[in-house]
Amino acid sequence: MTDTTFMTGTSAQFMLRVSDLSHRVNLGHNTLTILQGVSLEIKSGESAAIVGRSGSGKTTLLGLLAGLDTPSEGSVELGGAVISVLGEDERARLRAQRVGFVFQSFQLLPALTALENVMLPLELGGLEAPEIRARELLKRVGLGERLSHTPRQLSGGEQQRVAIARAFAANPVILFADEPTGNLDNHTGQAISDLLLALNREQGTTLVVVTHDERLAGRCQRHFSIDAGQLTESGATPA
Amino acid sequence: MSATGKLISVRRDWRERDVRVLLAALMVAVATVATIALFASQLQKTLVSSASAFLAADRQLESENGQPIPSAWFEQARSRGLQTARMTEFSTMMSGADRFQLVSVKAVGQHYPLRGEIEFRSALDQPEKTVDEGPARGEAWLSPRLLQLLSVKVGDTVDLGRLGLKVSGVLVREPDGGFSMSALAPRIMMNIDDVAATGVIRTGSRVNYVALFAGVETKLEDFHRWLKPRLGPSHEWKSVRDGQALSQSLEKAERFLLLGGSLAVLLAAVAVAVASRQYAVGQRDTVALLKTLGVDSDRIARIYLRRLLLWGAVGIVGGVLVAIPLYVILSEVVASALDRPLAYEIDPKALLPALLTAMVSLFGFAYPPLRRLRTVPAMQVLRSQPGEAGRAGVVDAAIAAVAVFGLVWLYARDITMVLSLLGGLAVLLAVLAALGWLMVIGLRKLSGGGSAWRLALLALYRHRRASLSQISVFAMTMMLACTLILVRTSLLDDWEAQLPADAPNHFLLNIAPDAVDEVKTFLAQRGADVDRLYPMVRGRLTELNGRPVREAVSKDRNINALNRELNLTWMSALPGDNRIQAGRWFTAGDKTGVSIEAGLADRLGVKLGDKLGFTIGAQHISEPVASIRTVQWDSMKPNFYMAFPPGGALQNMPATWITSFYLPPSRDAVLNDFSRKFPTISVLSVGHVIDRIRTIINQVTQAIETILLLILAAAITVMAAVVSATLQSRQREGALMRTLGARQSVLVGSTVMEFALLGLFAGVLGVMAAEAAVWALQFRLFEGAFRWHWAVILPLPLISAVLLAVLGRWQLRPVLRVSPMVLLRRLE
Ligand SMILES: Nc1ncnc2c1ncn2[C@@H]1O[C@H](COP(=O)(O)OP(=O)(O)OP(=O)(O)O)[C@@H](O)[C@H]1O
Ligand SMILES: [Mg+2]
Repeated sequence: MTDTTFMTGTSAQFMLRVSDLSHRVNLGHNTLTILQGVSLEIKSGESAAIVGRSGSGKTTLLGLLAGLDTPSEGSVELGGAVISVLGEDERARLRAQRVGFVFQSFQLLPALTALENVMLPLELGGLEAPEIRARELLKRVGLGERLSHTPRQLSGGEQQRVAIARAFAANPVILFADEPTGNLDNHTGQAISDLLLALNREQGTTLVVVTHDERLAGRCQRHFSIDAGQLTESGATPA
Repeated sequence: MSATGKLISVRRDWRERDVRVLLAALMVAVATVATIALFASQLQKTLVSSASAFLAADRQLESENGQPIPSAWFEQARSRGLQTARMTEFSTMMSGADRFQLVSVKAVGQHYPLRGEIEFRSALDQPEKTVDEGPARGEAWLSPRLLQLLSVKVGDTVDLGRLGLKVSGVLVREPDGGFSMSALAPRIMMNIDDVAATGVIRTGSRVNYVALFAGVETKLEDFHRWLKPRLGPSHEWKSVRDGQALSQSLEKAERFLLLGGSLAVLLAAVAVAVASRQYAVGQRDTVALLKTLGVDSDRIARIYLRRLLLWGAVGIVGGVLVAIPLYVILSEVVASALDRPLAYEIDPKALLPALLTAMVSLFGFAYPPLRRLRTVPAMQVLRSQPGEAGRAGVVDAAIAAVAVFGLVWLYARDITMVLSLLGGLAVLLAVLAALGWLMVIGLRKLSGGGSAWRLALLALYRHRRASLSQISVFAMTMMLACTLILVRTSLLDDWEAQLPADAPNHFLLNIAPDAVDEVKTFLAQRGADVDRLYPMVRGRLTELNGRPVREAVSKDRNINALNRELNLTWMSALPGDNRIQAGRWFTAGDKTGVSIEAGLADRLGVKLGDKLGFTIGAQHISEPVASIRTVQWDSMKPNFYMAFPPGGALQNMPATWITSFYLPPSRDAVLNDFSRKFPTISVLSVGHVIDRIRTIINQVTQAIETILLLILAAAITVMAAVVSATLQSRQREGALMRTLGARQSVLVGSTVMEFALLGLFAGVLGVMAAEAAVWALQFRLFEGAFRWHWAVILPLPLISAVLLAVLGRWQLRPVLRVSPMVLLRRLE
């Protein structure tokens, strides 16, 4: 635990600060090291892409950054809070306030309509007028006419747009996306990328994307690549 | 409705198969328990009232000491809101036209009978009718046999002592013409107010004074509490429950209902557990997503707890709504069998066990998997995590086992029952473990290939964990259902065996030792086979290990056997339906020892070797307990509390002989010849008792069949739960196989075979475990001899195989009907 203070002078400008992060899983007879000495700093409002071969540890890293899991070593500081030392429930509360997610497999609740899926985080966060905001967002992602459809009635691209609307619903300060275009065709993937980046700009949300999609990666400001659990920054694209 | 509200709404839950199964199982459990409880209390009341007729009242107080029962006791009873009546019984000589005959007189007072009716004819050739009071003063009703013996007819006058009585009717049957050995000679019924005028009764005459009481159970009990300290040694308080012949049958029926109820609950509980676990597995992704959206684990726990409580409410209300019509139907059946209307009464107390069952099912079975949802890692949204740990399953199973056996114990209050079932389950699990091991080593070597057989075995091996857990649930279901069927069958068989069509319907008492051979020949010549004659000595049990028995036995126990003379006997061979429970039966040459009936030994707390002292007339004997044996009181054969060895302590006591035999009703005339030839021998006819027991047993049988139906419903919900648990993955697999080019016929063949094999294994295991449980149950609870039940053992595994094969084929239906593409997408 090198730095457990909240909102120190130096960390305030960073939305995400990771230092010396390692992650190992115990497989009974031996331990598998998935991440090793990962450090990175991302400023508020930036967009960052993490690329790497399959099995290199991208999803694991994303989970740790978003506080879905706790690292074996090192610290993760999100919006000034050191989440790697927080308990499960405290991290959950933090996620409700600050974090949005977009997944490769959409992860919409099949029992709820598009509108209800978007309303869900708003209601959970106790925000006001969830339905109005949800309608607005769905209109923004181009699904104003599909409010009452359930995920089964929507195509993959449409489902991902609902997921994006849901991710932005509670006004997160940071949004994590794990291969958001991975299940979509080129054209649709392009549209989803547009949407993500546009919302990133409009709302000033920090964006961290894990992707195989080079075009999406190319449109982000910062590029990281991960190989055998080691993260390197491969140069920034000027904003 | 808000999205969160919708997410946790129970109405939406109904669309989930697992929830439907869970709710159905819960309702079955609640409905079964509620129906049984409601019906059992109704049955109890009905049976007590129809059996009350054996006493012509709800309770009788008999005084054998020749002292009338104090009128103050009657007043006390009346002041407590009970109805009362009196009667007096004695034997005397009477005369008709020109003949004399020893008769047994029953003199009855106003209000007799308090329960039941007297069957009567106004003349021998008139139809039978029922009346609810005895003869008026100056009149007498005679049994047909007595009319014949005295050769008098209705309208004639007979002399009883100093009094002349006009014969005004034929006594066909008296409501309490039960089973007491003291009803000796042919019967005459008269009015109690005429007794004094006969001048027959003097101090020292052997007279039974009887008080009859009827009323609400609680008042009867209150009165008995008041009366108890006032009773002398020759007073006997009789309730129906003590009427041995019937009460043993009823007790067995009651136990059966309880056992059945417990098993239904067990089955339903298994279904609840399976469905809930499956539901929880399906909810893991939702929970993980909710967690990424920031819901903390306490809130998750609250959401599912709330849901559970709502399910509970639905299950309880639904179950009770099912139970009430069932109860009404059952009662209707009994009412029509009894030919008497019944008052329905929904006793709220009877619903308590149902409530408890619902709670235990919910918290013991449904809750554990849901409770663990709070620990689902949020990371699961990104990558499915190592799933439900096996260890948690063990904890769940332990909670469930404790819950279930708690329930069974609660209902049946019988540790033997609990242990028998536990034992059966233990056998089941042991065999399952062995089977799993065999499967792993036996099927591993199987190489792939296209044949349906191969695929089926391969599928079993691939899913060995799921297969084993399915087999165990199916086997458990089979075991429980089978146990019940076996117990039911043997219960009905036992009854049938005890009361075969030619069950003895006549007893002969008071046979003098030198008349024994003559009686045998007389009856044999007329085709009535006398099975066995027993000597009978009447004596009181007075001492236990040298102390007066009343001091030795705890005071607050009213043991009827101590209040009256017991029938003692000696015999060399153990009667066929008796079983030695402890000690050993006399061998040739044994001259000491006594064998005591198990129930009495239990009530007295008598063990092997204890010394029992008897007073017989003026003599006293004392013998150690050599064996404890069970007796079939409902066998309609002479039965004895105490048996001595031939040449033992009883040898020189004044004995008469007793036997029983069957005589078809059409040949009743034989009895008249008999009575004329052996005027001192008493003939006791019990045909109507047998008829009545048969009627009651028929009703109980109907109840049992209905309970069995409920159990079947429970079994089906379990099956549905288990099949639906793997339905999705199996359908996905089937769709994949079709996508990969498997021909339909192979797919169907292998699935059907896989399920048939599952069913076969489960059937064999279930039957084995059931036999083990029945073996244990049989001895203590139902007191029958154990035998293998081939008729059930052999077909059941086959039936189970077929049943499951059909089920397997059925769940494959959607896989075959639509294109694999559509299916894969739907199952996404
Ligand atoms: N709980 C775990 N137990 C065992 N191995 C794990 C666990 N979590 C991750 N791994 C392993 O760690 C490695 C990295 O996994 P991760 O999912 O992070 O890869 P990825 O870069 O996201 O791959 P992809 O691009 O295919 O999604 C993989 O080899 C994976 O099998
Ligand atoms: Mg990944």
